[in-house]
Amino acid sequence: MGNKILVVDDMEINREMLREILEDSYEVEEAENGRRALELIKDHHNELAVVLLDLIMPEVNGFAVLEVMKSQGWIEKIPVLVISGEGSLDAERRCFEYGVSDFVRKPFDDVLVKRRVQNIANLFQYQNQLEEKVEKQTGIVKKQYQLLQHQAEQLKKSNANIIDILGTVVESRNLESGEHINRVKLYTGLLAQQMQKDYPEYTLTNDQVELITSASALHDVGKIAIPDHILLKPAKLTDEEFEYMKSHTTRGCELLYNIKGVWSEEYSRISYEICRHHHERYDGRGYPDGLKGEEIPISAQLVSIADVYDALVNERVYKSAFTKDEAFHMIVTGECGVFSPKLLECFRKVRKAFEELSGQ
Amino acid sequence: MTLSECYDAMGGNYDEVMSRLRKEERVEKFMLKFPGDKSYENLMNAMEAGDQEEAFRAAHSIKGVSQNLGLLKLYESSQELTEAIRPGQGELSGPRIPSLLSQVTEDYKRTVNAIIKYQEESVAQ
Repeated sequence: MGNKILVVDDMEINREMLREILEDSYEVEEAENGRRALELIKDHHNELAVVLLDLIMPEVNGFAVLEVMKSQGWIEKIPVLVISGEGSLDAERRCFEYGVSDFVRKPFDDVLVKRRVQNIANLFQYQNQLEEKVEKQTGIVKKQYQLLQHQAEQLKKSNANIIDILGTVVESRNLESGEHINRVKLYTGLLAQQMQKDYPEYTLTNDQVELITSASALHDVGKIAIPDHILLKPAKLTDEEFEYMKSHTTRGCELLYNIKGVWSEEYSRISYEICRHHHERYDGRGYPDGLKGEEIPISAQLVSIADVYDALVNERVYKSAFTKDEAFHMIVTGECGVFSPKLLECFRKVRKAFEELSGQ
Repeated sequence: MTLSECYDAMGGNYDEVMSRLRKEERVEKFMLKFPGDKSYENLMNAMEAGDQEEAFRAAHSIKGVSQNLGLLKLYESSQELTEAIRPGQGELSGPRIPSLLSQVTEDYKRTVNAIIKYQEESVAQ
């Protein structure tokens, strides 16, 4: 925004009068019609402080100039003062609708013209500078936001990596676990999505659904601390052995607790929940803590049903496989574990998808 | 003839224009430009041709300039004519038009004659 004033009027005397009044403080350009005015505005819109515009002119009149200034967005940057003697309310209203700043009435008065031009020029200069500043700062904030987003993305990746690494450890320790871990992950994902959709009261976000799915891979991480003769025993465990087996939940937690500084709090918390509580029962008769109902974290509830289903439909060292139908009924009738009614409802809805996955 | 006397002869208001434009040489400069303005000629041609848009624009211009110059009489008569022939509100063939037009002509001529006389006298001095 510069120091130029454009005076648009078909009457030379009017133009010169305004030039005289304003030329001490501004560089005055003149246009004798609307067409010439638009040419000058196009070439100089960065230098114009104010446009003084007559309405009634031959050919391209003042309204046509306003129309173009509006559509080009110039009128937001350059204030327009209308100098026409047109006094009708209708004309005035139309002018304001186009974005005209104000009117300079005839007859021209030296002091009033100077003041009005100066006031509106200062106001727009201030406003334009402010807008420029805001634009600049918005640009900076945007850049920083992108950087943060990038870092968050990196962090997420490294969190996911930690889960993968731990998962691989479990896998390498037990031949059976590799595919089991993968299927539990897929089942958990399906259930969690269904849960998110049907039961907003759990306030599951997309990120959490993703996290629970990913962290489900760690549910049996504690089994790396269970000796092979118990873990792989091809017969029923003694009571003592079974108690030891149950400790894979708390042993897993200890392991996760020891690395909690290296990943994000939420990853750490949800992995811990799943690891510790995926053998709890909704009626409070599970282990290790005997949590009851909704005391059991939703993450662990989701994984527990996925874990049970996969154990049922696959062969284990201690049992043969059930059919998909049998497995489904054993779960919904409470024959194999006790789950929340809402979770069972979700389980029914994803039954088909489960069965397709388990067939692979 | 002083500038103030010239304004009296034109039916103008010298004090009013001086209060706005503040300098005598400024008032004089613009007043001397007035006879060169083509608006009156345009008005007459447009009236003859029956071009209402153009006649309105010309009358409107005379009104604006005479108002800026403080030419009170001419401002009043041109204002009345402008409104009487405003497109959409009046017609060129309206019953009042001839008398309004002749009033504008009278005031215009009186103004221009006074200015010419003022100019001749100041050159002669």
